[in-house]
Amino acid sequence: MIKKILIANRGEIAIRIFRSCREMGIDSVAVYSEVDRESQHVLLADEAYLIGPAPSSESYLRIDKIIDVAKKSGADAIHPGYGFLSESADFAKACEDAGITFIGATSKNITQMGDKLSARALMEKAGMPTVPGSPGAIKNLEEAKTICEKIGYPVMVKASAGGGGKGIRVVHSPEDLASGLRAAQSEGKNYFNDDKVFIEKFVQNPKHIEVQVFGDQHGNAVHLFERECSIQRRHQKIIEEAPSPSLPSEVRDKMCKMAQKATQSIGYQGAGTIEFIFDNVTKDFFFLEMNTRLQVEHPVTECITGIDLVKEQIKVASGEALSFTQEQIKVSGHAIELRLCAEDPTTFLPSAGKIVRCRIPQGPFVRFDGYIYAGYEVSIYYDPMLAKLIVWGANRKECLNRLRRALSEFALTGIKTNVILHKNILDHPKFIDGSYDTQFVDKELITTDKKSFFKYVPDEVFLVSAAIASYQEQKSKSFEQKNGSPKWKAKARLESQNQG
Amino acid sequence: MYFESSVNKTNYRVIVEEDLKNWRLKVQKILKDDTERQWDEHIIPKKDFHTAADGNISLLFNNKSYLVDVVDREDHIEVYTRGSYRNVVIANEDIILRNGLMGLGGLGQVKNLKAGMPGKIVKIFIQEGQEVKTGEPLLIMEAMKMENEIRATADVKIKTIHVSEGDSVETGGALISFG
Repeated sequence: MIKKILIANRGEIAIRIFRSCREMGIDSVAVYSEVDRESQHVLLADEAYLIGPAPSSESYLRIDKIIDVAKKSGADAIHPGYGFLSESADFAKACEDAGITFIGATSKNITQMGDKLSARALMEKAGMPTVPGSPGAIKNLEEAKTICEKIGYPVMVKASAGGGGKGIRVVHSPEDLASGLRAAQSEGKNYFNDDKVFIEKFVQNPKHIEVQVFGDQHGNAVHLFERECSIQRRHQKIIEEAPSPSLPSEVRDKMCKMAQKATQSIGYQGAGTIEFIFDNVTKDFFFLEMNTRLQVEHPVTECITGIDLVKEQIKVASGEALSFTQEQIKVSGHAIELRLCAEDPTTFLPSAGKIVRCRIPQGPFVRFDGYIYAGYEVSIYYDPMLAKLIVWGANRKECLNRLRRALSEFALTGIKTNVILHKNILDHPKFIDGSYDTQFVDKELITTDKKSFFKYVPDEVFLVSAAIASYQEQKSKSFEQKNGSPKWKAKARLESQNQG
Repeated sequence: MYFESSVNKTNYRVIVEEDLKNWRLKVQKILKDDTERQWDEHIIPKKDFHTAADGNISLLFNNKSYLVDVVDREDHIEVYTRGSYRNVVIANEDIILRNGLMGLGGLGQVKNLKAGMPGKIVKIFIQEGQEVKTGEPLLIMEAMKMENEIRATADVKIKTIHVSEGDSVETGGALISFG
C-alpha cells in the first residue's frame, strides 16, 4: 500500500497529483527549486523540500537529490508528472534500485519507446501502420518512381540528414520527381554534407490524434479512446479535445483497438499515449510515437470517461489490477482543454512577470487546473504554461459554447497570455466545423491582420481607461507635490536625464 | 488635462476633464495627413468608472460592462479587459514637450530647437559658438511644474541662443539655432 508520494515536478501537474493523493488518503511530498518557494505546489503539499537552484538541471532534473528527499521523507513512491524526468529510463531505474515505486512505465518500456526507430520497429511488428515510404536511402530515379507509384502521390523527398525544413521537397506528380530528388539531394549535400535521401508519403491535412492507453502488472491493457491535439503552435499543442471531431467511427474503432493491442503486446504498465498522424483526406492513420507517461491533456479523457487517471496510475503502480474492463469504459459527451500560457499571443514569445489579477472561471462543468494567483511572479526558468481550462458538454456544440463562456470569465493580467489567441481559434469556422489540421494556427491565424485579431473590444475602451487613470495618477502626484513631497520633481528630472 | 496617445497603431489627442459627477473626455484621431477630424465626446458618470477595493476598475461604457485592469509600466500603460489587452502609450504635456524638444534637438540636422509647449527657461548650459557633444545638456525648461533637461543627442555647434534664463516661452518659440 502506498502511503506517501513524492511528486518530482512543479506547477499545475504537481497540484493535480496532490489532489488524487488526498482523495486516496495518501500524503504528498513536494520538491521545489529556489525560485519556487511561492509556487502554489509548495503551498498545497503536505510536505515540501528544497532541492536546488532555479535551473531545472540543478533541481527538478537531479535524480540523486530527488531520491534523497524520497528516502528522507519516507515516501514509498514517486510520481514524475509530465516533462522533466517523466520519460527518463534512468530515473525509473534509480527508483527501482532504491526500492521506491515509480508511478509510471517500467524502465524497459521507457527505453523501448524512447528510441524512435526501435519504437517504430516494435509497433510495425504489433501490426501498427507507419507512414509508407522507401525502406532506406534511394539509389536511383527508377527505384524512386517504383516506390512512389506504390505509395501514391504526393510524396515527400527528405534528405536523411536534413532538418529545420531544409532538404525537403513535396512532389505531387511523377513529372516532378526527378527535380524534387535533385533538389533534396543538393540541399542535403550543401547543408548537411550528405546527399542520401528517402521517400515518405506526404500526409495532407495532417491531424494529430492520440489514444490514451493503460496497462497493469497482470497483463491487462485497455484504451480510453482518442484525443485530438491538432491545434498547435511551435509544434506544441495548445488545444486538445475528445472525442476527435473528424474521426469516422469505424476509423476510431480500428485506431483504438490497434493501440490497445500494441499496449498489451509490449506488456506496458501504467498510463501511456500512442500518437498518430491522421490524414483527413484519405482517412488513413499512421503511428507517430508513444509517450510513456501521463499527458498534459489527460483531463479531457477524464471528463469524457469519468475515470481519474492519476488515481488509476497510483493503483496500478501499487500492483492492483486495472479497476475497469474495456467494456466498462464508456464515452459520455465532449471535452475541450485550453492551455493558458504566459506568452505573447502573436509571436509566442514567453512573458514572465508579476500577475496583477487572476480570476478563475467557475460554474457548471468547468475545470481549472493551474498554479497561479494574483501577486505570483511567473519565472523565466520553466514552461510558460500556467493553467489548463477544461470544460465538458453533452456534445461538442455545447462544449464549445461553454468554453467561450468560461474563457470570458477568466482574467489574468500583468503579463501577456494567449487568451486572445484562444478566443480567435474558438470563433474560427475551421475550428467550429472540426476541419482544422496541425497547420491551422500558422496558416489561418498568424497571417490574419493584427487589427482583426484584436477585434473583441474596441480601442476606445482601452483609450478611455488609460486616459482617466493617467489623469487620476497625475492629479495625485500634483497633490503630493503641493503637500511638500519633492519626489515627483526629482524623479522627473532623473527620467529626463536618462532619456538624454 | 491634455494627452496624446497611441493605441493599436492609431494616434489620438485626448482631453480629460472632470466635474463633480462626470468624467468628460474629448477624443480626436490624429491622421497622417493631419486633416482635422471631429472630436468625439464621452461623458462618463464617475460611478461608471469605479475602482473596487481589489483595484479592479468597473467601467460601464456605452452600457457595456467592462472589468478593467490598468498596469503602469515605465513607457506605456497596459490595459486589460475581457481577455483582451492593449499597450497604450500615453503622454501628458510634460512628456510631449520633452519628446518634442528632444526630438528636434537630437536630430542634429535640425536647424532650430523649438519649444513644444509653453514653459519657462530655468537654466542654460551652453554659449553661442560652442561645440556640443552628444549627451551634453543644453538647457532646462520647466513646464507643468516639472523640470525637463534637454540634452543634445548628436554633436552640434550652437549658432544662436534665442532665450535667456527666466524667460517664458510659447509653443513653437525658437530656443536655439544650430550652426
